[in-house]
Amino acid sequence: MKRLLKAIGKYFADFGTAVSKGDIWVKLSLIIMGMGYIGRGQVIKGLLVTALEAVFVLFTKNISWPYITKLNTLGTVQREEVFDPITMTKTVNEYDNSLLILLFGVLGIAIIVAFLLVYIGNIKSAYRIQELKKNGKHVNNFAEDLRELVNDKFHITLLALPSIGVIFMCILPIIFMVCIAFTNYDAAHQPPSTLFTWVGWKNFITLFSNKQGSTFAYAFVKVLIWTLIWAALATVTTYIGGILLAMLINHQDTKLKKMWRSLFVVTIAIPQFVTLLLISKMFGNYGIVNGILTRIGLVDKLLEWGWISTSYVPFMTHSGLTHVMIILINIWVGIPYQMLIATGILMNIPSDQLESARIDGANKFQIFWKITMPYMLFITGPSLVTSFIGNINNFNVIYLLTGDYVTTDASLAAANAKDVDLLITWLFKITSESQLKQYYMASVIGIVVFIICATLTLVTYSRMIKGDKEEVFQ
Amino acid sequence: MKARRIVASVFRHLFLAIMAGIWLIPILWLFVTSFSTDPGIRTTRFFPEHWTLANYSKLLLHPDTVANFPAWFKNSMIIGVISCIISSAFVLMVSYAFSCMRFPSRKRLMSFSIILGMFPGVLSMIAVYFILKMFNLTDSLAGLIVVYSAGSGLGFLICKGFFDTIPASLRESAKIEGASEFTVFTRIVIPLSKPMIVYTVINSFLAPWMDFVMAKLLIRSKDPADWTVAIGLYNILQKTLIGQYFSVFCAGGIVVAVPISILFIIMQKFYVEGITGGAVKG
Repeated sequence: MKRLLKAIGKYFADFGTAVSKGDIWVKLSLIIMGMGYIGRGQVIKGLLVTALEAVFVLFTKNISWPYITKLNTLGTVQREEVFDPITMTKTVNEYDNSLLILLFGVLGIAIIVAFLLVYIGNIKSAYRIQELKKNGKHVNNFAEDLRELVNDKFHITLLALPSIGVIFMCILPIIFMVCIAFTNYDAAHQPPSTLFTWVGWKNFITLFSNKQGSTFAYAFVKVLIWTLIWAALATVTTYIGGILLAMLINHQDTKLKKMWRSLFVVTIAIPQFVTLLLISKMFGNYGIVNGILTRIGLVDKLLEWGWISTSYVPFMTHSGLTHVMIILINIWVGIPYQMLIATGILMNIPSDQLESARIDGANKFQIFWKITMPYMLFITGPSLVTSFIGNINNFNVIYLLTGDYVTTDASLAAANAKDVDLLITWLFKITSESQLKQYYMASVIGIVVFIICATLTLVTYSRMIKGDKEEVFQ
Repeated sequence: MKARRIVASVFRHLFLAIMAGIWLIPILWLFVTSFSTDPGIRTTRFFPEHWTLANYSKLLLHPDTVANFPAWFKNSMIIGVISCIISSAFVLMVSYAFSCMRFPSRKRLMSFSIILGMFPGVLSMIAVYFILKMFNLTDSLAGLIVVYSAGSGLGFLICKGFFDTIPASLRESAKIEGASEFTVFTRIVIPLSKPMIVYTVINSFLAPWMDFVMAKLLIRSKDPADWTVAIGLYNILQKTLIGQYFSVFCAGGIVVAVPISILFIIMQKFYVEGITGGAVKG
């Protein structure tokens, strides 16, 4: 933290030196950015930088500034249509669109920040060239600058496009989602016809405290608990199952190892939207499993014993039973994948350790618990956390399996949740399947999951850094 | 002792066979039901009573107002191929920059990317939806391509791990002979990384091909011609349609799965190596 502050301090100190010690060209480039280059003969570079400055000024002044100034209210002029009976035309007033204000406002501010960084960098670089000239060193011409971009500065060329992609599709959405959580954007406040505005922490309070008439807090606790149980069980069962299966297949006596592995791998190869939908229909109320159970008379027996009250076994429609089914089906989905990962690692266990343990008289279980498992945990520890995070957000399994599930809990239903929902599927349903479209609640839920995931990620990450051996082989 | 070992081995194989059986039952059912003359879901038989190829011909040759599989397949293919090209290029570029080049704040940028990359993209899906809507990209193939490929540069970890194993002396000697970084990248590192490239390409094709969430979020159109395979197959299983289309769904599942299964079995080796390569690194 201290180092970071120091680095920031140095950043601005360098800027100060550049401005104060710079000559007339450097000072001129405070206003016209390219002057520092043009003054030293780098005309094309100077013109390009100046053009960039011009584009930025025009964009901010004409497009993003009007939006930025309205950010504090998110717009005040409601859309109104006036019908003129004489000309038979409708005229629409100059209304504000809250969503556009928010989007362009955030984008505009991001661009201003980015431009400021470029601006400061530009001054520093103009000063650097001044120093180079003063010391009689070579100053690159434009062709040499371009050649640098495929050579010493090739990383800039390589990283430019991927970075833009990441900023637009990963970072900007997160910022934007955080903003929406503090507004009242829903179906009743839907641009362009109506405005929405800032409401402060109200939505967070709705989610965390029981208020009259709102069941979000109740649903949140229920869904959160199930999400965590699910993620823990799903991760642990598939992890251990995968290792056991891999050990079974890799055992020295097992014949046709490749064939066994392929049989399991086939199940990963079929897209989840096929297998999960298929399985959910197999176990449906009128699906084949119930059909066969009825035919062999088991359903009647169960009815007789009073275990079920319907003419089918409600595998996918009964709270409790469905939860168990989801975990079981996920074992089916997840084990082959974990088996593949474990296979690779098991092959790399140092065999001398196993050998010496055997000589010392350890039995198979001792070897498994004392050597194989610790080794696996050491290597796959971080990926275990990653898969826990993955399971918290395992949209596919839950959404595709529980399409037919109808909750009997009215409070949950009022908040658009089901007993079997994860936070992520709940979020999705709020935004796309409910009539109210409470985008703000979905964003709040998103932020909560974000915080859970980010904490876990940071914990894992500190471990990953330790394991970084990038220069061992080079 | 020997007899015990044989018995254990027999049990082990028996157990594996049972497990494999459990794992393959749904797949087998998918396969046999795709040949069933009974279109619906209400069945009490595992194997169909009468066998037919009609489901496949209906699926592939006679698209109707609900099931337009050729269009879905085409859409998914276009999305898959274009995002695959962009994503693979991004991953290779980022990996080279992080693995083979040394520049200020490289480590910091890498740490930041790793953290960001671990963060599930699904979470901010509402915001992604609004942003794409602003650019009028919802309900379009271009929008999905952007979603699948824009952030792909973050998935560099495994590929970078591979590049790390290419001896630096190779690159240095090329540079002494006057090669630029660009030449080193295209003429030395890329040709040496064929297995990694195969892995990257297949993976970046499969990710959009198998995705469901983002397609479900972005495709709101009621016209079947605009759907992808995932959305199409999901929609024909809705309550009102499942009675007529279940066996067609099964046929669709098989058509989608066969090419990928072959890819996967070929790729198994890369998969194991690729994943552990990344895992050992962290």
